[in-house]
Amino acid sequence: MTQPARVLGPAPSPASARAVMERLAAQLGRAVQGKPEEVRRVVTCVVAGGHLLLEDMPGVGKTTLAEALARACALSFARIQFTADLLPADILGTQVFHAQTATFSFRPGPLFRQLVLADELNRAPPRTQSALLEGMAQGQVSLDGQTHPLPSPFTVVATQNPVDFSGTYPLPDSQLDRFLVRLSLGHPAPDVEARLLTTRGAASPLPSVEAVTGPEELASLRDFVQDVKLEAAVADYVVRLARATREHGDLERGASTRAVLALGSAARAQALWEGRDFVTPGDVRAMLVPCWAHRVLLRSAVQGVSARDEAAHLVEEIARKVAAPR
Amino acid sequence: MKRPLRLRLVLRDLAAGSAFGAMAVSGQLPLWALGLFLGALVLALCDVRLVARHSRLSALGLLVAAVLLGLQLTSGAMNAVVAACSFAGLIAAQRMLSTPDAAAEGQTHLTGLLMVAGGAALSGDMTYALCLIAFGVLASLSLALGVVEAAVPDGEPVPVRAVMRPLSAGLAFAVAGAVAFFVLFPRLNWAMVGPRSAPGLGAVSSAGYSNTVRLGGAGTIKGNPRVVLRATLTPDPERDALDAYWVGRTYDTFDGMEWANVVGAKQTERQITLRPASDTLLHQRIELLPAYGARTLIALEMPSRLGNAMAHTPTGTRSSPVQLQGGGEVRFTIAAPSYTYEAYSLPPDARTGMSAGLVQAERDQLLAVPEHLDPRVARLAAQVLQGEKEPLAAARKLAAFLQRDYAYTLEQAGTPEDPLADFLFVRKAGHCEHFATALTLMLRTQGIGARLATGFYGGTRVDGGYLVRAGDAHAWTHVLVPGRGFVTVDATPPSNRTSQGSVLLEKLLAFYEAVEARWRNSVVDYSFRDQFELASALVRPPRRPAGSPANEAPSRLPPPRAWVTAAVVAFVVWRAARFASRWTGRAPTLEATRFLDRVDALLQRAHVPRMEQETLEDLTTRLARDGHPLALAMTPLTRRYLEARFGGRALREGEAEHLLATLRRALDAEAARRAVKPAGQAGPTARAS
Repeated sequence: MTQPARVLGPAPSPASARAVMERLAAQLGRAVQGKPEEVRRVVTCVVAGGHLLLEDMPGVGKTTLAEALARACALSFARIQFTADLLPADILGTQVFHAQTATFSFRPGPLFRQLVLADELNRAPPRTQSALLEGMAQGQVSLDGQTHPLPSPFTVVATQNPVDFSGTYPLPDSQLDRFLVRLSLGHPAPDVEARLLTTRGAASPLPSVEAVTGPEELASLRDFVQDVKLEAAVADYVVRLARATREHGDLERGASTRAVLALGSAARAQALWEGRDFVTPGDVRAMLVPCWAHRVLLRSAVQGVSARDEAAHLVEEIARKVAAPR
Repeated sequence: MKRPLRLRLVLRDLAAGSAFGAMAVSGQLPLWALGLFLGALVLALCDVRLVARHSRLSALGLLVAAVLLGLQLTSGAMNAVVAACSFAGLIAAQRMLSTPDAAAEGQTHLTGLLMVAGGAALSGDMTYALCLIAFGVLASLSLALGVVEAAVPDGEPVPVRAVMRPLSAGLAFAVAGAVAFFVLFPRLNWAMVGPRSAPGLGAVSSAGYSNTVRLGGAGTIKGNPRVVLRATLTPDPERDALDAYWVGRTYDTFDGMEWANVVGAKQTERQITLRPASDTLLHQRIELLPAYGARTLIALEMPSRLGNAMAHTPTGTRSSPVQLQGGGEVRFTIAAPSYTYEAYSLPPDARTGMSAGLVQAERDQLLAVPEHLDPRVARLAAQVLQGEKEPLAAARKLAAFLQRDYAYTLEQAGTPEDPLADFLFVRKAGHCEHFATALTLMLRTQGIGARLATGFYGGTRVDGGYLVRAGDAHAWTHVLVPGRGFVTVDATPPSNRTSQGSVLLEKLLAFYEAVEARWRNSVVDYSFRDQFELASALVRPPRRPAGSPANEAPSRLPPPRAWVTAAVVAFVVWRAARFASRWTGRAPTLEATRFLDRVDALLQRAHVPRMEQETLEDLTTRLARDGHPLALAMTPLTRRYLEARFGGRALREGEAEHLLATLRRALDAEAARRAVKPAGQAGPTARAS
């Protein structure tokens, strides 16, 4: 937020959209080194207008990534550390009594930011989690019979620790379904780690991240994504993939209609990376696992990381079986 | 054994029912066979497999039926084709009611086919075609369901809904195509379906316009309700039933057995063109239908002129010459299934004049009696007449006597040696030919000239015209009244003159005839002129109502129906265009896919490794990642293909060829590069060995 937002061009084209995305990815790459693929996914998710779920062990740069995103897009940012005693009012805000005027006025909570980092989301009780839910789904908050619109663009980046489950409230499926993309960064490669050690030391990489776009441009980019053409054959491909997950023997529950729509918008945003204004089956396949692996429910009782891995594996297998349109 | 699908059995039984219907519409099957089959069909549809346990017993029943049919066949009471068809119906009924296994299934369908073939032999008109279509559709559905059912493992549900929808759509398409073909070429098809030898419902042709009339035999014709003639009369008598005589020909010579004419064909062929005649004459526009089965023109008594004859042959309509035969018969010289012509007749009470074109030989015959005429005939006549000499009064007296003392019957077992004496003195019952012959000869014995006339009596009003049925065939007497000519006297009891078919059958047929008339008028005989008339009737401004003031200017605008029609047509065109645009919208896609096929073929020939299920997009991405030399050529090509396929930007003219040429060059360069490389590597190896 140190620099003003860039002035928006007249009308975004696939090429200009791609340029913005490349710039964003470059800035994020400064904060999270050695993860170009993941960084691109994050940009795709933000451009598609979705919320992001980062599942990783502590200390791999989840928070840094979120913060870098906020800086690069020049978005107002808040970080909410979810704990077992966090109450809905703590994130949504409260009515405050003014003694002088004898009236109540609404004081917005930390959720009223354009980018919210919900750190360790699964540590908060379900009540608090679901308070976040309305905000994510509707872009508004209802409190004491009043609705308060959230700022636009509104994006939630949530993190959770997939290993340590003690004292956590696992996210219900309905809430998982609201995240467009789930990612895990994983440990950086040894050479990247070594370079970090020698060049940066303990200094934060965030100051080096520059604002390369602004909320207005991001909003118009999101509008542009919705105009990316999704041909009937590709739409049919997405639907066939969804049906295959629903009919798969190892899956308790397949992709929902929301999952189908989510994959559609993620694939639209993905198409922009190639400077295209139409979606190809390749785009769909590229976003398939990040979009769907957390939305399907396995029959087997595995949990946590291995469950995600197995789900990703099954979704990939389905993608190999379902013939792409040609 | 798993339980067969109920729907399939119902379809099978309905198919058999349609096949039976194809035969039944001929109206020739005996009633008992009709009843038996219908009963069996109802039971089968209710899933009552009556003979499942006693299949042998029922087979024995079939054997008995076969013997009975055989007996009827040998006694001459039944036609061989009818007998075979009835038997096929009985077999189908027995199969339908037995256990539904694979064998019964096949046999039912087989008998269905046989019945359809039988139906074709018995009749071949529109109803038959409908039954045939129904049989085809139902049997196909049933057979296809059977195949699906056999493919589904035991215990699994049969996907009836999933199968029936595409199947029905396919069949509907096939039937619609067949019907469209039929409508597009109506005349051709009508002629092919329209029987030439068998005149439709009731294979027997009408009054039997041969050169002779033989007494004796059963009067089966009287029960035939098939319409043989359709006529429009001017002036219109406007009566529901016409009590008039339609004369076809007359006979003057009787040899004790047979009526014939002393003079044969009188005249060579000639065309007769009629012009509008005086108002005193009764004008008739007559259409002879295929069921008529003869070539004799008929007209109301007494015909004055016949002409404008058109023959509707399988190859088209043309005017036909006519020929005057003996007995005043006018005959078409061209053989055709149906004819139209016009006729003028004298009003009933007109004087025809004495001679009426008779030659001397014919005039002499009017008093001739057969050599071996039973003397009792003359005695009876004299006794009845009691000295009455005036010809018309005498004839009426004799007719009244015959109508009073003699019964009407169509049963005529055996052939007596002297049919006339047999009728007058033994049985005292007979049909119109007996009555007419008796009256004619009794008059002749008393010195009064008379002759036998044959044709039709009556006419039912339908749609402003009159229908005459085969059952209306009739014979009566022409009495020669000096100074007045021939006068009709009918000795047959009045209630027995017209058709004697069952009322229900006649009603059904009337309905059928009405439908068929519509069909013929609006499809078969539909011409450019009709099209033009329809169009002009559509846009003609409405007439001024009778009560409206005369000074009001009539509207020049087309009537509302023209607007409605235009709106409907516009809507249909719009829908069709939208439907068509969906297909034209797909064209670039198909083009892109064709382009892809050609790329694939090129890559395959160049042995570019391709993984299973890998799309062109994946392949190019992989090649680019691996730094493959082909990637350079493949990337723009793939991009263009993706644009054309998923981006809605179709390939331009010649662009595909250009891209392919580039790829081909790249592949050739790659092949050359590979050819060089192994050679370079092979060098040292060769030297080492």
